[in-house]
Amino acid sequence: MVETDKKYYHAIQILSDNCTGCTACVRVCPTEAIRVRNRKATIDQNRCIDCGNCVNICQFHAIIPRSDSLELIKNFNYKVAIISSSYAGQFSEDVPYAVSKQSLLELGFDEVAEESFVTGFVIDMVRDYIRTNKHIRPIFSSNCPAVVRMIQVKFPSLLPNILHQEAPMSILTRLIREKFKTEHADFDETDLGIFLIVPCVAHVTAVHQPEGAYKHLQDGAFSMGMIYGKVKDHIKKLQNNPREIDTYEKGLTWALSGVEAEMVEDTDIRALSVNGIENVMEVLSKVEDHYLDQYDYIVLRSCTNGCVGGCLNIENPFVAMSRIKKLIKEASDPEINIDELVDLYKDGEFAVSPLAPRSIMELDKDIKNAIKKMKQINEFLTMLPGLNCSACGSPTCYALAEDIVQGKASIDDCVVLLKRHSKDD
Amino acid sequence: MQDCAAVRSDMAEYWNIESGHEEAIMTFFDNRPVADVVLESEITEKDFVTSGRGSADVKNTLKRLGIGPEILRRVAVASYEAEINVAAHSNGGKMESSIFDDMIHLRFTDRGPGIANIEQAMVPGYSTADDLVREMGFGAGLGLPNIKKNSDALHIVSDYGKPTMVEIVIFY
Repeated sequence: MVETDKKYYHAIQILSDNCTGCTACVRVCPTEAIRVRNRKATIDQNRCIDCGNCVNICQFHAIIPRSDSLELIKNFNYKVAIISSSYAGQFSEDVPYAVSKQSLLELGFDEVAEESFVTGFVIDMVRDYIRTNKHIRPIFSSNCPAVVRMIQVKFPSLLPNILHQEAPMSILTRLIREKFKTEHADFDETDLGIFLIVPCVAHVTAVHQPEGAYKHLQDGAFSMGMIYGKVKDHIKKLQNNPREIDTYEKGLTWALSGVEAEMVEDTDIRALSVNGIENVMEVLSKVEDHYLDQYDYIVLRSCTNGCVGGCLNIENPFVAMSRIKKLIKEASDPEINIDELVDLYKDGEFAVSPLAPRSIMELDKDIKNAIKKMKQINEFLTMLPGLNCSACGSPTCYALAEDIVQGKASIDDCVVLLKRHSKDD
Repeated sequence: MQDCAAVRSDMAEYWNIESGHEEAIMTFFDNRPVADVVLESEITEKDFVTSGRGSADVKNTLKRLGIGPEILRRVAVASYEAEINVAAHSNGGKMESSIFDDMIHLRFTDRGPGIANIEQAMVPGYSTADDLVREMGFGAGLGLPNIKKNSDALHIVSDYGKPTMVEIVIFY
C-alpha cells in the first residue's frame, strides 16, 4: 500500500539554495526516490530508505545529513552515549582506543557505552534465533536500517526473513535502561537520556522512527563526523594523561560485515556476508527466487565493508577496517557477564513487532489499470531517446516515461527531444 | 512476426499441461492473442554474464503489476532456467514475454542445434552440457524439470539439428 499522506522521518535534508540541479543524486539513488524538478532536487519520502548514497555524491553541499544537536543532552539529568563499533576506526593509530572513548565523557556524558559490549551476546542470540526458526531460510541480519527499509520498499515478500530482534545498539539501550532503574534509584526514569553516536544517516532515522520497536529506545543520534571534530581537542589533552577505563575491542567485529558472518557461522549454520547496496539488491532478488536457500543467515549491509563505510564516518572504509582488525587482534577485554542480557532476551525484551511493507512497486492497485499504464509507459519509451542522461531530472528514460504516465512529468521535460525538435523547425 | 519456424510436422513435440488448465491453455494456443505488454530480449551463446537479464526484467515488470510473491518466484525460476538453457546449449536466440492480466506467456526460440531426445532431456539430472558450461556452475540437468515444476504449461518443439522453441504459461 502506498501511504502518500504519511509523514516519514528522514535524516537527509536538501538545501535548495545550494542545489544546482546536476542530477548526480538522481542517478545513484537505489530506489529511484529523487527527481530534479524546476532545477532543484526533491526526495520522495515514501521511497527514500536513508542509504546516504546521495549525501556521498553531492558536490555542492546541497544534500546534507541531519542529526541532532549536542545541546539536546542538556534536557536530561543522566546522559549516556553509545558508540557504534565503527567509531574505533576513525582515529589515527597513535590514539589509544581508550582515549577516544574517554574523551566523549569530556563532552558532557555521564557514561559511555560501546556497541561492542553486546557483540558476544548478540552472536549467541542470532544463533539461537536461527536454530529456533528453522522454517525461515535464509534469515537476514536486522542491524542495517537502510537494508530493513530496502526490504520494506522493494522486497516486501522477504520481510518475515528479517531477524525480528533489536539491533545491538538498541539491545544495549534496553540493558542500560533496565540497570538504571536499580543502580540509580535516586533518579527518575525520565532523567535518563541515551544517545547513539552513529556512522550513517540510516541509524539517525532509525532512532527517530524505529521500525517495529515495542519500547522507548534512544533519545537522539549524533553524527560521527560532528562528534569527531569535538573530541579531537580532548584527545590531545587526554593522550598525555590517560585514565584507566574498560574497553571492549573484541566485539568491534560488528562494524565489519564479513567478520560478523564468520562469527555467526557454525557447524550447523552457514552464513553469507554481503555489503554495498547494489550487491544487497542483487542478493535479495536471488533470495526471492529461492536460489540462496542453502544459507541459514545472511548479513546484509548497505555500505562498503559494513558500518565502517557509513557516510558520516571520517576515515576510508578500508583503512578503518584495517585499524579495527588490529584492535581486535590486540584486544584484552575484561570478562563480560551476559546473564542479564540472556534474561532480558528470554523475557522477549528485544523482540520486534512484525515489519510492515512500504511497497512502492505497484503501478496501480487494479491489475488491468496497471497493464494499461505499463502499455502507455512502453509507448512513451519508444518516443524517448534512450540515453538515460537524467537531464530531464528522472533517473532513466523509463523512469521519465513512468513519471509522465503517473502525471508527474511531461514529455517536454526531455531536453534531447526538445533539441531535436528545434533543429527540425 | 513469423510464427515460429520450428513448428513443422516433422519435428518432435512435447506438451505438459497441469491438470485443471487444459481448456484455458488450448483456448490460448488456438487464438494466440497479442498482449498489451510484450518484452523482448536477445540471448547470446555462452554469455552467462548478461543471460538472466531478460528474466530479471520480466520479474520486475510483474512486481510493478502487483503480482504476488509465489507467482513471481515461479515466473522468475522458469524464465531464468529457460534463458540459461538457451545460453548454455544453443547457438543463441531470443526471449519474448507476453504479459496479460491473468497469465504470462514466455517463448524462447533459438538458432539450433536442437534437442535430440526431449523425453530424455526432461529427466532430472540428465544433461548434455559441455565442460565450459559446467565450469560456469551450470549443467546440473535440472533446467527443464525445474521449468516443468514451476509452470502451468510447457510446450517444446525441437529435433536434432533444428532450432528449438520452448513455450511456458503461468497463471497468476
